[in-house]
Parts: sequence; structure tokens; C-alpha cells
Amino acid sequence: MRLYRKEGNTIQILSFPTEDIEKGEYLLIQDSKRNRSLVIQVIDIQFANIPGILEELLRNSTDDKHIYGENLDPLEVAPHITYIQDARMLVCKIRGTIQNGKLSINTAWLPSRSQSNIKKLPVASLLAQAKISKSRPINLGETRELSSITIDAHMLDGKLNIVTGKKETGKSHLAKLLVLGLIDYGAPVVVLDLNGEYTRLGFSSNDEKNEYHKKVRVLTPGDNFKITLAQMNLRVMMNILFHALDLPGTSAREFRRIWRFLKNRDTLTMHELGETIRNRQCNLHVRDALYSRYYSLLNSGFFTDNHAEATSLEENFHSMQSGGALIINLQDISSIDRQVVVEFMLGKLVELLTQRKLRAVFLFAEEAHLYLRETYWDDIVTRMRHFGVFTTFVTNQPNTIRENIYRQADNIFLFNFTNEHDLEAVSRAAKVDAETVKSVARDLLPHHCLVLGKVVKDFPIVVKVKALDIQTMGQTRLFFTDDN
Amino acid sequence: MIEQLPYATTPKYNFPNAVQDLQLPQNFIELSLKSMKNLNLEQFHPIETNLFNSITENTDLTEPTLLNYSPPTLRSIPLKPLPQPTTITAIDVSNIKLGETETGILTAIRAAIVWRQSRQYRYLRLGPFPFHITEQNRREIYCLFRQYYFQTPPKDMVGPNLLNMQNRISNLLERWLQMSISTSSHDNIILWDGSLTAGTPDNPTKVLSQLLEIARNRLNTVLAFTKTTTLRLGGHRLTDLTTKTPPPRLIQINHYPLHSSTPIRFLGNIYIAKLTNGGCSFRLDIDKNIPSEQGIAATQKLLGNDLLLQGYPETLRLAHIYSTFTANEVIGIQRFIAQTYGLKIVTRPNLRRLLFGPYGKGPEA
Repeated sequence: MRLYRKEGNTIQILSFPTEDIEKGEYLLIQDSKRNRSLVIQVIDIQFANIPGILEELLRNSTDDKHIYGENLDPLEVAPHITYIQDARMLVCKIRGTIQNGKLSINTAWLPSRSQSNIKKLPVASLLAQAKISKSRPINLGETRELSSITIDAHMLDGKLNIVTGKKETGKSHLAKLLVLGLIDYGAPVVVLDLNGEYTRLGFSSNDEKNEYHKKVRVLTPGDNFKITLAQMNLRVMMNILFHALDLPGTSAREFRRIWRFLKNRDTLTMHELGETIRNRQCNLHVRDALYSRYYSLLNSGFFTDNHAEATSLEENFHSMQSGGALIINLQDISSIDRQVVVEFMLGKLVELLTQRKLRAVFLFAEEAHLYLRETYWDDIVTRMRHFGVFTTFVTNQPNTIRENIYRQADNIFLFNFTNEHDLEAVSRAAKVDAETVKSVARDLLPHHCLVLGKVVKDFPIVVKVKALDIQTMGQTRLFFTDDN
Repeated sequence: MIEQLPYATTPKYNFPNAVQDLQLPQNFIELSLKSMKNLNLEQFHPIETNLFNSITENTDLTEPTLLNYSPPTLRSIPLKPLPQPTTITAIDVSNIKLGETETGILTAIRAAIVWRQSRQYRYLRLGPFPFHITEQNRREIYCLFRQYYFQTPPKDMVGPNLLNMQNRISNLLERWLQMSISTSSHDNIILWDGSLTAGTPDNPTKVLSQLLEIARNRLNTVLAFTKTTTLRLGGHRLTDLTTKTPPPRLIQINHYPLHSSTPIRFLGNIYIAKLTNGGCSFRLDIDKNIPSEQGIAATQKLLGNDLLLQGYPETLRLAHIYSTFTANEVIGIQRFIAQTYGLKIVTRPNLRRLLFGPYGKGPEA
């Protein structure tokens, strides 16, 4: 390999067919005279612009039907010509400098073009140089050199993470891996499970209970997840009415009065709420509006007056002190009920965190745009972080996450995207240059992801995500199978 | 038992078995290898491939001046394509300077022969053959060439200077291939790139006459196409002369006088060939010693058997394309030489560039 040119933070390396290099790999340009090495990452591989190549290809593009022939090349020069033809240009980004064995982000120097020696830099060596802490390692999988790659759970703590990629590339699989990794270190995790993919986390692939079985609780709203009005505070209820059920302001004021009236009488139940609305002396339209919302709440099946069947989140979290996951199964409920449940969950989490009943919680939100109201995004990313809600968004529609969210993301786990539109949306992530995202993500294989951010000390790394012995449940249900 | 019919594979095409027929002499390869052996860990200054486009393959245009005192007569001959199946064979050779060493120059030579028969083309590429030509070996190489191919006594030979050697070697290889094709083929139309002008150090009259005679004896007709001629008539370039006859046509030039002092001889009848509408005109030389009707018929067979693009035979065009060196190949051959013979590549500063900056065009002389 030879150093060819540098432009901005892009370096071009001339490489020959015998040198097996792939996108995402790291190279080290060693300048022995200056005792420094430049760390670069291959983000694209192109054919070198060889003079005369077009003429050569045109000449050799004839088909045997019309022109055929043979070459008498007794000195065997041809392999040398084809070797030149296959020369490649590696487009690389500068990532840092190694000097005296220390890795720094200094990129303000240029190695010698004629004297430099270029070699591969194994990711394991890079991460060792980057001194990525491994006090709480979570094994993600392996690099292309087949070395194991671990991240530190510390680097997910207090952070905003995004897992994104197109369908069936392994996003949810990685999310599950992170969930289980966090559980291992005693973290409480809440998963807003849109498709019921996490419901079998406690079972291995052969349908037996696994080590996480007791730590994973699946709560299905309307089934084993019901709440009483007493568990709800007025602010959360008002959020539900405003944002999920579109209650107008005038009616909301009347609802507040009713709520306070019932609370003062200590009769805050669904039955009493219904009766009070029915008998309330107020504007007919207001009463109708309140009554229709009341029935929406009642029909969701999420509310109950029976304290015995009500779920206590406090108790659930208390029993998860040594780590555990609360899977909120949103699979078979309507979009409005979904919003009601999510509003309640987020409100409750903030309440518990404010009251210090919970130290912090890791929230995993699958396709959050389907149930998270617009105003919640900023709330989750900025305000809730201070309460101790550390969110991981999982989505296959990157444009549903606003740009300012990407900007604040600490870690991005990026799977394959081929659509330019999607790549454009993801490439706005401030963690790395757009070129890297677009070029590397386009060619990622299934179950391979590009890890960006603090977990890898801002050195983008391609990881083949390891397999998990759990029931994944994330596969698309097919009609045509081998059985029929 | 069901008797199986003895099916045999049908031969693909009935082309001459080129490699066997031509029998590229071991001496030629040995000559190349021998010349390369004197490379001894020398420094190698490769030519700049970014200037490759400006490097043209030299053609020795030693054309005589036609005298003006008795204007030659022009005769326009209309042509009709003759579709009578005839094999068209074209030969072309290219050479390129690869660079310089401390003791000489490195060149590469490649030849291509293309056959057209039954609407199919077949080619044979020979080479590339690298040569290291030094002051010490230039005469030896040249004499060996001539001796081997044309049995010319070496004592007659004065080796050309170093700069002309690559063209000379290339020319000799071309003549040898023309000789081989003339000997091995029968009743073919053989297309040459160049003219039938003899009497230059490169083209001794004896050698060229011998070549044409061999071709004639095998009922072959040699048609020599010159892309750019320096011959002028009445101040006009030969190919600029026109008649009202529509193409395809030949314009025969009769009685072109030469200086009596000049050793140069035209061994062919000179025509201006305009073979397609809107195409270019070329100088066409046809062996003088065959009846002119036969020469014209051969041209008509060419029209009936080959494609003509811009008025130029496709077979000859392909021979040129297959023999010529692309910049990519030059780099490949340079790499082959540097690696095989352990040369140290040193890029010489381009003095023209150094002195004249962006105005310093072309490679270093």
C-alpha cells in the first residue's frame, strides 16, 4: 500500500489486489522518521484511475462471437498488466495519531508519502490503544479480524442511544443484547415493545427458561397490566387526555375539577368518575366530550377499580433491584391505547425517579414515532435525562427521529441502509462525518453494524453482532413456509 | 446396443492455425531476453505515463519529393464490392519507449495479426517483448534481426543510432511477420500499414521486393494503406486530391517522377482510395508487378469482405488496436521489468516542466 494523496481529512491509499482490505477497516500509516503514526479508516474502495484503462477495457470487451483470438506472451507480462488494472484506491478518513504508544485525536500533521509504511491496524489493537474501559463489558460480537469486541455498560449509562437500520438487518437483536447486558449489571430496563419481540427474552431458543427468566417481566396492557386511578397523578392523566385523546381546554378544566373533587372525597375510581361526569351540571358539549374520553379510557381495559388486579410499578421495580427488564407489550393494542399506556409509563417513571424510588432507568423504545407524541422527543432527550431516564431509540425509519435528537445522541448503532433518503437522515449524526456513514452503512451485511460514539471512543467500528440464545420473536411471520 | 453415431466437434472457424504457421522463432524471444540480461540492478527512469498521450508511435516517413515539371495524370476508377469470399489478413506492429537506464533505453514491441473470414475476426497478439538497447548491443541486435529474417550479410549493416533502434527493430519484426503471412497464406488479401516505398535503410529495395514476390507467388495481393502521406502533387497533399466520381473509388496516379539521384523507389502503384461516403482518403499502394486489374479486383474484394469505417479497413484497424500500447500496459510492463530485473525506479525531473512550468509540454527528450 502506498500513500497517494490527502485532501481535508480524507486520505487516499493506493492498494493492490493481493492486499485484502475491506470497508470499515483501520490502517496505520507509520512515519518512522517522525516516530508517529496516523490512524485512518477505510470508508470506500474504488478502482485506481489508471491511465489508459478505458482503452484497455474497450479493447478486451469484444465477444467471442465476432472477434476471438489468442495472445502469445512468452515472457508472461500480462499478469503484471492485469495487476495494475486491478489496483484500487482506498478512500480513508483520518481518525487519530499514535505517538509514543499513545492514541490522540491529533490530525494536524501529514506523514511522508515516500517513506511511510502502511499496514492494517486490528480493531482490537485500536481499542486497546483507545483505552476503552472494560469494567462492565458487554460483548457485542466480533470484528472482521474475528476478535471479540466489547463495550462498557458505563458508556450507555446516562446516554442517549439510537439503533437504526433497514428491516431485517438485526436492530432488535442488538437492542436485546444491550438489554440483557444491562440486566447483567443490575440495571432496570423498560422496553416499549411495539411488536412483542421482547416477550420471550426469558426463554432460550429451545423454549426452555434461561438465566434471565426471572428478571424479565412482560406486562401486557389490559391483561396483566392494569392500573387504578389512584396510581395516576392528575398531570399524567391530563397529558393522556390532551395528547392521546385530544380533550379541548374547556373540557380539561372541568375534568380537573371533577378529579380534585373525587380525590378529596377519596373516591377516585373509574366507576365514580363515570357517574360524576354523567351527573355533572355543566355545559352539554363539555359533558359529552368528557364522557366520550371516559369511555375511551374505560374501553382500553388499562384502568381498573380492583386493587387486587392493579399492577404496581413501584413493586415491579423494587423486585428488579439486582437488574431486570419490564417489557411493556404494545403488540395487540390500538394506537390510542398505546399512547395512553406510554403517557402513563413515562409519567410514572419520572414520578418514581423524582421521588428517588428509582435511581435510574434504561428505556428502550421500538419505533417510538408510532406512540410518542411530538413534544415528548425533546422532553425525553433533554429533561428526562436529568431525572435518570436513559433512552435507546430503535427504528427502521431514521427520518422519524428529528435531527436535533441525532445531534444529541451519544451512541449510534447503525445497520445497513441502501436508501439514499435514509442514509441522508442518519448521516446528520454529529458523531462522525456524513461520508463515513453513507459509504459504510450502504455495504453493511445483515447482522453487521457500524458502532459510532462514546462506546467506541468515537472510532467508528464495524461489528458482526453475536448470536443470542433467546427466542427472538422478531421474525416476519410468513405465509409460504417449507411446511406448506 | 444402440449404435452411436460418431459425432465429432465442428471446428469453430477455418482460420489458418496462426501460431503453428508463424512459428515465432525462439531467437526473437531469446534476443529480447538477452538484451534484458545486461540490466544489472541499474537505475530505471520510466517515461511519464501522464504524458503518454503525447507520445506517438514513430513512423518513419521517409518519403521522396515528387518532381513538378511533368504533372502526373490522375485516373478515377469507380469500385464495386465483390462479395467473393476471400480471407483478409492485416498486420501491424507497435513499439513504445518504456524509459531509460544508465546505459541505454528500454523499449517494448508488440505485433498483431488479424484475419477476417466468413464475417468473423480472429487475432493473434505477439508480445509484448521488452528490449534493452545499449550502445554495446544495438548493432548486435540489429544484425541478428536482419540476418535471421532476411539473410542480409551483417557486414553490410551499420546499426542505427540508439534513438532510432526501437523503430528499426519494430520495422524488422513487421517485415518478418509480413514475410511469414505471405509464405503461409494463399489467395489472401494482405493489408499492410504503410507504403510500398523502398530504398530507405529501414526498407531495402531487395527485401521489400522479395516480400512482394513471395506474396505474388502464393496468389496473395498486398494492399498497403498509408494514413498520412507526405507525398504532394502540385503543392497539394496527395490525399486531398479529388474527382467527381462518387465513392467507393480509386484515383490512380500515373507517371510520378522522382529525382534520379534518390535511392528511393516505389514498388507499388500509388492510388488515392476513398472507399466510403463521408470517409477519409488514404494512399493505397498495390504491388506494381501484378496486373492493375488484379489490384483493383483485390480492392473490390476488400470492399465485399471487410467492414470499412471512415473508409479504413476494419481488419487493419483492429490490428492497430490490438498491437498498440495503452498507458496502463506501459505501467504494467515497467513494473514487470523493474520487478524481474531488480531495477531501481528513479523518476528524473522533467526539465521542460522545471524550466517552463505549465508551458513545458511533452515528455523530456
